[in-house]
Amino acid sequence: MTALLELANISKSFPGVKALEDVHFSTDAGQVHALVGENGAGKSTLIKVISGVHPADSGTIQMDGKAVKFRSPHEAQAHGIATMYQELSLYPELTVAENIFMGHAPMRKAGPAQVIDWGEMNRRAEEILHSLNIHDMDVRRKVGALNVGNRQRVEIAKALSLDAKVLIMDEPTAALTESDVAKLFEIVRLLKERGVAVIYISHRLIEVFQLADKVTVLRDGKFVDSKPVSETDEDDLIHMMVGRTITDLFPKLPSEVGEPVLEVKGLNRHPHTEDVNFTVRSGEIVGMAGLVGSGRSETAQVIFGILQPDSGEVLLQGQKVHIKSPTQAMKLGIAYVPEDRGTQGLVREMKIRENLSMAVLDTFTRFGFVIKRNERKSGEELIEQLNIMATSGEQVVNKLSGGNQQKVVVGKWLASKPKMLIVDEPTRGVDVGAKAEIHRLMSELAQQGLGILMISSELPEVLGMSDRVLVMRNSRLVGEFSRAEATQQNVGAAMMSDQIATAAEAVAAVAQGDDA
Amino acid sequence: MTAAAGVQHNRYWTNTKRLFGSQEGILLLLLMLLIIGVGLYNPRFTTERNLTDIFNANAYIAVAAIGISMVIITGNIDISVGAAIGVLVALSGTLAVELTAAGLPGPIVLLAAWIAPLFGGMLISAINGLFVAYLNIPAIVVTLGTFSILKGGLILIAGGSTISALPDGYSLAQQDLLGLPVPIWVMAVLTLVAFAWMRWSRTGRSQFAIGGNAEAARLSGIDTRRQLMVTFIVAGMFYGIAAVMFATQYNTIQTVVTPGLELQVITASVVGGVSILGGIGTVIGSTLAAILIRTIGAALVFVDISPFWLRAILGVLILVTVLADVVRRRRQERM
Amino acid sequence: MTTANPARNGSEFSVRLQGILLRQETILFFILIGGVFLMSFQSDVFLTPENLLNQGRLAAEIALIALPMTLIIITGGIDLSVGSIVGLTAIMLGVAWHNWGLPLEVAIVVALLVATACGAFNAFFITRVGLPPLITTLATLALFRGLAEGIAQARSVSGYPEWFYILGQKDFDFFGTATVFPNQLFMVIIGIIAIGAALAWTPFGRSLYAIGNNETGARFSGMPVRRNKFVIYTLSGFMSGLAGWVFVSRVSTTRSDMGNGFELTAITAVVVGGTSIFGGSGTIVGTVLGLTLIQLMKNGLALSGAKGDSTTIVVGLVLIGAVLLNTFISNPPARLKRLLPGQD
Repeated sequence: MTALLELANISKSFPGVKALEDVHFSTDAGQVHALVGENGAGKSTLIKVISGVHPADSGTIQMDGKAVKFRSPHEAQAHGIATMYQELSLYPELTVAENIFMGHAPMRKAGPAQVIDWGEMNRRAEEILHSLNIHDMDVRRKVGALNVGNRQRVEIAKALSLDAKVLIMDEPTAALTESDVAKLFEIVRLLKERGVAVIYISHRLIEVFQLADKVTVLRDGKFVDSKPVSETDEDDLIHMMVGRTITDLFPKLPSEVGEPVLEVKGLNRHPHTEDVNFTVRSGEIVGMAGLVGSGRSETAQVIFGILQPDSGEVLLQGQKVHIKSPTQAMKLGIAYVPEDRGTQGLVREMKIRENLSMAVLDTFTRFGFVIKRNERKSGEELIEQLNIMATSGEQVVNKLSGGNQQKVVVGKWLASKPKMLIVDEPTRGVDVGAKAEIHRLMSELAQQGLGILMISSELPEVLGMSDRVLVMRNSRLVGEFSRAEATQQNVGAAMMSDQIATAAEAVAAVAQGDDA
Repeated sequence: MTAAAGVQHNRYWTNTKRLFGSQEGILLLLLMLLIIGVGLYNPRFTTERNLTDIFNANAYIAVAAIGISMVIITGNIDISVGAAIGVLVALSGTLAVELTAAGLPGPIVLLAAWIAPLFGGMLISAINGLFVAYLNIPAIVVTLGTFSILKGGLILIAGGSTISALPDGYSLAQQDLLGLPVPIWVMAVLTLVAFAWMRWSRTGRSQFAIGGNAEAARLSGIDTRRQLMVTFIVAGMFYGIAAVMFATQYNTIQTVVTPGLELQVITASVVGGVSILGGIGTVIGSTLAAILIRTIGAALVFVDISPFWLRAILGVLILVTVLADVVRRRRQERM
Repeated sequence: MTTANPARNGSEFSVRLQGILLRQETILFFILIGGVFLMSFQSDVFLTPENLLNQGRLAAEIALIALPMTLIIITGGIDLSVGSIVGLTAIMLGVAWHNWGLPLEVAIVVALLVATACGAFNAFFITRVGLPPLITTLATLALFRGLAEGIAQARSVSGYPEWFYILGQKDFDFFGTATVFPNQLFMVIIGIIAIGAALAWTPFGRSLYAIGNNETGARFSGMPVRRNKFVIYTLSGFMSGLAGWVFVSRVSTTRSDMGNGFELTAITAVVVGGTSIFGGSGTIVGTVLGLTLIQLMKNGLALSGAKGDSTTIVVGLVLIGAVLLNTFISNPPARLKRLLPGQD
């Protein structure tokens, strides 16, 4: 039997980067095919080749045994390839039905003209949604009024309206709540029954084992292997993804725990932070675990002055403070390495030096003018200290790898010599080597007497690095564990809660724990 | 089935709510309140003749605003609209006079003078569109450039002269049809046609898609460049029609660009509920806004306010419109 | 991806980078030289110090406005209301002196305060309410002009005392050398130095580039984003006020339509000077060169017999030319490809 979609010897280069080299990929109808690899492994580029966004430099694509060429998204669509991107590609001001049929609305004759048939469009949109077991969505509503889970369902309906034979899902669960993940899985299974080939990309390996029939691993733009899911396991996959087995990733060094640096009392900010109380002492790394959407990042942003609290107190070294802006938080000695490096952590179009000095530029001034020599020197010291791989401080941050970009964010805040460091997902999308370096650095900082609050979705990271673990769920702190108490079972259970957790998330978190 | 009936009823209710929650509904309400209010204060305001004059005088702004609304809905802007209309007005007048002088028969002269600006407008806009759609230069920069070129070019060629001795029958905008002035008919018909086009045609819908999320539109297989180009050209045709309406409303034509005309047109569009960020708006809104603006201007005299305050009032009107929109959106987000 | 290239050392790299940054300014400079050269053949008057300095006098108002406009456009914003602020300042100056009977010195201060308040009004809606700058200043373009018209009621004010014209119409005499150096150019030069230095060498200036590239990133880095944006829009109001004052002093009279269309010329100068309309890059040097180029070409055209405002044709041509050039320099092959049919 010939494969539905088969890519062979695909290569693609961008200026300065070989994104894909001689990659193979093939999938059959009715198959869920997982595509895994570290960030920068080439998954996104491969998807873009399949969906016609970036035509390949060389290699062949066949559908049903016939050679095809996708020079534009339109051509790929015409061959039945639909893509759901990470950033949802919807129009908030248009209705659900219009979004589903954008670009291929049903037409009817009105005298001499071809016009959009709104009635038919609404009817067919409803039909498609019903076929996906979605019965509670008004197709005349604007998409902007829907939540993320529902928007994603609109995206899937859109793909189906195109009679997609192949549906590419890029990190579909990244922004979803637990119940939405369960619904999504149900839909994927429905699609599979219908004979749609689903290409599924996810960082959560557990999802691969729950959903996929086959898995393909990429590493550094190269094809590593492709095999049925039944013939592999987590360790094997991780081994293929990183090229080595990970041992002892989290070397938390002992440090002396001193006075409280940060005390949070009864902090409220509707709807993500409800009555949050905790303390971080100097020399201590406090892990904050919780699922995406549990209110962790929002709590950190309230402390850092990005969001304003509705009520509650924040004490810094015993002093009550009212933080109204990040500028003020920084001056008080708080640093915040945000969750989203690209949009919050860095100004990527600017140079490394300029990013590193961003929080402390005032200290390099004389009579109000920046003394570039001092700025450059400080930048070079940080590059050295953090082992940032770059040609020089004058390089634009955009050109760095994810791990090195993250080091620049951390470096920026080190320069501000904080007393309290809040890190939000410090190693997301960072390669293994840089991950270890960032962990070592956090350890050293704690030894130097900083208080550190580490927010992370990765249980092994939380368990390995933290002196104490806080758990947030549904906007509240629901558990606190000492290092000794903090086991995968305890923390995992607190994160999920017994009643509402979906199996998917619970197993995912625990399984990630098994990786370590 | 009771459930279905419930849904039906519900939809009816949402539709009613939607009308009065929409920009068009609010504008209509404002317009009626204004006319009734000023009419009560000074009954001369609501004479049929006066109201007809009000609707008539800004009709060309409304027609130009239809064009620019399309452009703004795609997330672009056109600063050159005022200068383009100025040039097209001069073109129409010059053709009327020169072709008559060349001895062509009257109907042909009139047809040429009335039709040529449409093509002229399409050409000017096509040039803008070419730069914006195919060379990816921001519309504000391109149209700022063409604004200066058209404005300077008109002075260079026509030198601000006045065209008079226009041929008989040229003054289209001064004629009546079924008891109403032609401009009102043109405005009403074009608004409806444009509304229908934007709601029921592929290109019309893609304008909203491009303005709402250009990258997504491209990925949906919409040829965004082509659609942008078409949008600009169609908008140019509306500028051309507006220019003919402007040129034929008096017996002489000034060959200068009316200062701030682009602002009047953009104001009508924005007050009409077209989002300057793209993706939202209707031409019914922009036409109602054009009428409302003119009504306010006309009402000032009747309530003894100096017309020199008109522009300040317009400024406040734009601010209030945008603020209301922001408030509405924040409320929607919170829901 | 880190592509460490050992063949290229750090200093060479930074030199190369600087070269790229300077490119738009360098090109402008050569166009300027070429233009001046060509136009000096067109007219004997053109290349005389008197004519050139007089052009400086004519361009002073726009220059004062274009300086803060550069800062605003670098942050990704825009200010369309500047021309209207010029008009309102002029009217306030005339009304405060003529109608309210204030001493002229006080009237000037009142007018400048009103202008600054106008800028702060924009700043408030942009930074506190969160309205887009384009729409906010479009509204205040109408509002401020409307206030000027409403207050003026089509009356103009003239007959100012003689000392008032020194700023706008007289020249500075360098110790009896009879040089013709227009007084208002001192104001412009101080503005260029102060704003240019602030942009290039201070944390404030650096934050403007950061805001233009990634506002959220700048805010999360503890930069005072809101405050600095507030400052530039307010500064834009103040500088427009200065421009209004200079304008009234130069033309001896006050009318409500003064400064009409200044916003477009100022924005043109900034964009011609290489500042990206999307924000994130640009320099004061570029703006000054851009404005000089526009003014001299207008002058050249006028000297070769073009009538009145027809010289704006040059402004448009230069603008589109500069942006095209910039586009082609920054990314030639892809752009060229796009021009060809079927290469999509």
